[in-house]
Amino acid sequence: MLARLRDVVGERYAFADPYEMRLYQYDASPETALPEIVVIPGTSEEVARVVKICTDASVPVTARSGASSLAGGTVPVEGGVVITFARMDRILEIDTENLRAVVQPGVVNLALSQALKPLGYYYAPDPSSQGACTIGGNVATNAGGPHTLIYGVTVNHVTGLEVALPSGELVQVGGRKSAEAIGYDLTGLLVGSEGTMALVTRIWVKIQPLPPVQKTLMAVYPDVATASNAVSAIVRTGILPAAIEMMDKLSIQAIEAASHAGYPLDAGAVLLLEVDGIPEVAQELGERMAKVCRDNGASEVRIARDEQERQALWKGRKGAFSAMGRLSSDFYVMDGVVPRTKLPETLAKIDAISERTGFKICNVFHAGDGNLHPLVLFDAFQPGQYEAVLAIGDEILKLCAQAGGSVTGEHGIGLEKRENIRYVFSDDDLEVMDRVRRVFDPHILMNPGKIFPGNGLQPSAVRYPPGYSRRQAVAGGEDLWV
Amino acid sequence: MGVRAGATVLPGHQITVDEQRRLSVDDLLPSKIMHPGDAEDAGRGLRLCDLTPAAVVVWGGGTQMRLGAPPRRYDIAFSTERMTRLLEYEPADLTCRVEAGMRLSDLQAALGAQGQRLPLDPPHPERATVGGMVAANTNGLGRARYGTVRDWVIGIAVAYPSGKVARAGGKVVKNVAGYDLMKLHIGALGTLGVVAEVNLKVQAIPESEATLLGHFETATPAVAAGLLLARSYLAPAAATVLDRRALWECGLTADWRWTLALKLEGYAREVDAARDQAVGAIRDAGGRVEGADLPATFWDAVRDWSAPDGDVVLLRAIAPIAAIPTLSGAIPSEASVIIQPAAGVVDLRVAPSSAAPTLQRVRSLAGDEGQVVVASAPAAVKSSLDVWGPPPPGFPIMRALKQALDPNGILNPGRFVGGI
Repeated sequence: MLARLRDVVGERYAFADPYEMRLYQYDASPETALPEIVVIPGTSEEVARVVKICTDASVPVTARSGASSLAGGTVPVEGGVVITFARMDRILEIDTENLRAVVQPGVVNLALSQALKPLGYYYAPDPSSQGACTIGGNVATNAGGPHTLIYGVTVNHVTGLEVALPSGELVQVGGRKSAEAIGYDLTGLLVGSEGTMALVTRIWVKIQPLPPVQKTLMAVYPDVATASNAVSAIVRTGILPAAIEMMDKLSIQAIEAASHAGYPLDAGAVLLLEVDGIPEVAQELGERMAKVCRDNGASEVRIARDEQERQALWKGRKGAFSAMGRLSSDFYVMDGVVPRTKLPETLAKIDAISERTGFKICNVFHAGDGNLHPLVLFDAFQPGQYEAVLAIGDEILKLCAQAGGSVTGEHGIGLEKRENIRYVFSDDDLEVMDRVRRVFDPHILMNPGKIFPGNGLQPSAVRYPPGYSRRQAVAGGEDLWV
Repeated sequence: MGVRAGATVLPGHQITVDEQRRLSVDDLLPSKIMHPGDAEDAGRGLRLCDLTPAAVVVWGGGTQMRLGAPPRRYDIAFSTERMTRLLEYEPADLTCRVEAGMRLSDLQAALGAQGQRLPLDPPHPERATVGGMVAANTNGLGRARYGTVRDWVIGIAVAYPSGKVARAGGKVVKNVAGYDLMKLHIGALGTLGVVAEVNLKVQAIPESEATLLGHFETATPAVAAGLLLARSYLAPAAATVLDRRALWECGLTADWRWTLALKLEGYAREVDAARDQAVGAIRDAGGRVEGADLPATFWDAVRDWSAPDGDVVLLRAIAPIAAIPTLSGAIPSEASVIIQPAAGVVDLRVAPSSAAPTLQRVRSLAGDEGQVVVASAPAAVKSSLDVWGPPPPGFPIMRALKQALDPNGILNPGRFVGGI
């Protein structure tokens, strides 16, 4: 097997040394599992040939790129071959005439927007991990980010894909530089399929003009309930901000300790709001939003005066997860979604869970679209804590589902939530999804053990904590997660 | 994949001759009708059709029944006419859940009462249904600015031939649980299942709106001005280029050869700035800005123009936007045309007699990443036209998806791409 893979990618880019395998056993979730072989292809054709060798030999294939998945999406639970896209990291084309860019899957999200910036364009989806996560990974999970409120998630910005099918064929689907294509929308189906149908080898994305001005506001509230109601009030005015983020008291304290973003330490909750537009409109909307915030219980509203202040406010938010290292050695993050009108009651219920169980729970999340990220703080070295935290996570996701929401808004089902998916889908729903998956991958070799519940599969063989690698990354403070 | 013959008793209700005529598709008549009351009922009905097996043509408002190849067989008209309820609507969540048979104009009225709308504007909203819009992927003039059906559908319930009703997506605006099967059904023309319920995002009605017209001697500069604006931050809500015949057909009888019609939407000051920008773009491209009195129905007429009835063929070319100027410059003179430069869409109306050569010509011009479909045609013409063109890349997968979800091939057999 290894020899055949080396024939395709070269000696250097296929390896099976047990020590090296350890580097590929984890992502940003608590789960780990060792691959048997890691392959680093350099071209789409190599990916397709590697996939064919694997599927012919009934060996599972798991794709990996930035490995910032919070749901275990890249953890090879059934072993087999991990294909990593580290070498396929080129922006192949920037076509401002057609408002498109063509990229390889290993391109880091932020790198694309940085390349576009001098031309006056950007790529809208901006996961908080955008400095580390890749567009290929974004496509796999249909990633979101703070600014999806107005601009939509990854799938709204992808117009075509080149994929390596389990059969070893390489096909280009979708309109690519056209807006639409005839036939079924395979592009839309493949985005968010978490590598369980095919491997993405090339991506056509929409690019859009940079907004002339972005106005960022911080509004301070006595508690999360008042802040949540303010969110609904803002939405009801007809102004749709580009982003509405919320941080609760605990998060504010952690963030301030880590990055001095300028959030008041005595606040019960902080809303971070952003509008963009031409200068006079952004100014007007900023003022109008400030008024709505004040009318709905804000004790203080501050509009960032310049880019530096704006960046400081955002740095606090985007570094929130890293900052949690200040409060706790470990945390477990959820990705539930509720209709935004259900935010106050859901947050109150999460609070009650925290009180009942004694675990502290921070909330830092995308309030505008009801996408919660409760962070349960714990110590993985205390026996029983990890199991208790998993149970809390399960309870929170059930709450979200019962409120009419979802068990994942942007991280994906992956490994971690494959049982929780039952809270939102019936057996009939899952059966249709399974049929669709098997059209692509009849023998369940593509990222097996993900998305679908049960299947008699065991969860990862190695349970967290395997060592200290993740702990260090979190406490180190520089990495941006979520 | 065709429906096996042999069954003698068809499920469904008896149908009158008048109804048969009303529900004919490409001159084929249904033998019976089914009109389920809700999603589960639709599942039960489909199961009966599948057991028979009987070929089903799904009916919404019927505004897109001239799209697609003629069905291979047609036994049952499967109508969503009784499934018209607005099931849930929470304005502060900017989401709603509706039954597939709800008329778009009814939905827009309910949303409008709360100052909101669905920013999709397919033709004939007074007849078109939400389910039909999803199945046919009909998008109106706002597609470049607001996106298409796939950007606004957040959840779906579909009845399958197995009798089961399965859901995907959900009711929240951000959701990545499970596969995005919404995408699979959007534009599938009901060949994979019957869309029974649709969950949608909605938006606030913009504060301000304005229309601006510019006229030009040739198509190319009008298209260029439209594209320039589309690539700017203050992109218009709709930008259409009409030739004189299309302009007249839309009720504006001005003597202009080519007209760039712009609809501007947004906050009041944004619209002001967009108007200034657009005036500049029109003048720079050599056009004249017109302040003609616009008939109140102008934009509705432009929207409906692409879904004609009667003895007219509508060809639709979709191409990368940078290819639109070339394509526009080569339009045969016998066609009337409406171009949406920013969406990369060129709609041509031609007489049946010139449909075939025009189709061939436009296909050759559309290039690698472009495609041309016959979006509407009378039955007599269709038999001589390749309605969809060559099957797209990935077609074997599409055929296998059809086989997996509709193994007996009872759903709209033959109407979709590549004979699906």
